[in-house]
Amino acid sequence: MSIINYASKEIQFKIVYYGPALCGKTTNLSYIHSQINSDNRGDLVSLATAADRTLFFDFLPLHAITIKNFKTKFQLYTVPGQVIYNTTRQLVLRSVDGIVFVADSQWDKMEENIESFRNLEDNLAKQNAKIDDIPYVIQWNKRDLPRIAPTHYLNYLLNNRKVRVPTFEACATSGKGVFDTLNMISRLVLLKFTKESEQQQSAAAKRPAAKPLVTPHV
Amino acid sequence: MDTIPILGLEDVAQIDAVLSEYLDKSEAELAVVLDKGGNIISQQGKRDSAELSIVAALAAGSFAATKELASRVGEPEFSALYHQGKKTHVFMNGVDENTILFTVFSEKTTVGLIRFYSVSCSRKLQQVLDRLRNQPQRNRFTLSMADIQKAGTLFGR
Repeated sequence: MSIINYASKEIQFKIVYYGPALCGKTTNLSYIHSQINSDNRGDLVSLATAADRTLFFDFLPLHAITIKNFKTKFQLYTVPGQVIYNTTRQLVLRSVDGIVFVADSQWDKMEENIESFRNLEDNLAKQNAKIDDIPYVIQWNKRDLPRIAPTHYLNYLLNNRKVRVPTFEACATSGKGVFDTLNMISRLVLLKFTKESEQQQSAAAKRPAAKPLVTPHV
Repeated sequence: MDTIPILGLEDVAQIDAVLSEYLDKSEAELAVVLDKGGNIISQQGKRDSAELSIVAALAAGSFAATKELASRVGEPEFSALYHQGKKTHVFMNGVDENTILFTVFSEKTTVGLIRFYSVSCSRKLQQVLDRLRNQPQRNRFTLSMADIQKAGTLFGR
């Protein structure tokens, strides 16, 4: 859930990178961290095992541009992809504003991609949220590897809902597609925020003015 | 709505007043109010703002994990967490279902004093936050499509 602070002139959004184990979620954040000026980001925090497998989450705070004198802050998180850490994924998904689903493009990872997407839907449902109500994009990662599925097949498997979401081909190790993905999800989050603000404003405008109390005639 | 999406100047001033009083009485160094998602609602005391967002994310994650752990051992929750360091210590307690009070303190004070004053601080914070959640949002911050388009590319190398 985004937070607007008039005192500090900041808007905060939370974006979670989700996907099966070893699909490239942490690699996305590592690349972003390496490329963005240190004035516009904080440290990349990785709670991981000795084998560099995400144990709890990775976290990277980013400052984006200033809109209407408000600094927009995006908090990027990744979840652990391994099946045993499902409870942890639920915790990290709390108050999420936008999701990047990172899919592994390799043929033999298709089942894991599908399971992970279903798991995302289930975990959101536990928080009374639906994937269709949250801005999200899909990244087809590892496009540099051999034996990868074509994107039309990946779209058929994972992006075949009523509304298709934006997708990006990527190779997170080299950075290809990483910033395109990040910029799109950030825009989608801002757009949703804008629509909600406009709806609230028009609802407030339609509300009838409070009737004055009738003063008894004395 | 289960969290505080908009904090006006007066709202932050009220929360800051509660936190300032808490810091004065407990002699803690830093007090942060954050939500369950890791977002900072307000803070008092000295800390670098870039570092604070990381601290908030870690604190929220830690508290959420501990709450889950409590439910697995048959407890509704562990109401407070205390981490003891050599010189600097951390105390976390739940203000309400969605909010955490995170306190950093040194040898100048004791965990007993922190715990004692955190109770009244949490009660006052809860009153402020409940009022914020239940009142109609006074401040309106709206973005238009033009604002977003004018922003251009948000992130770049």
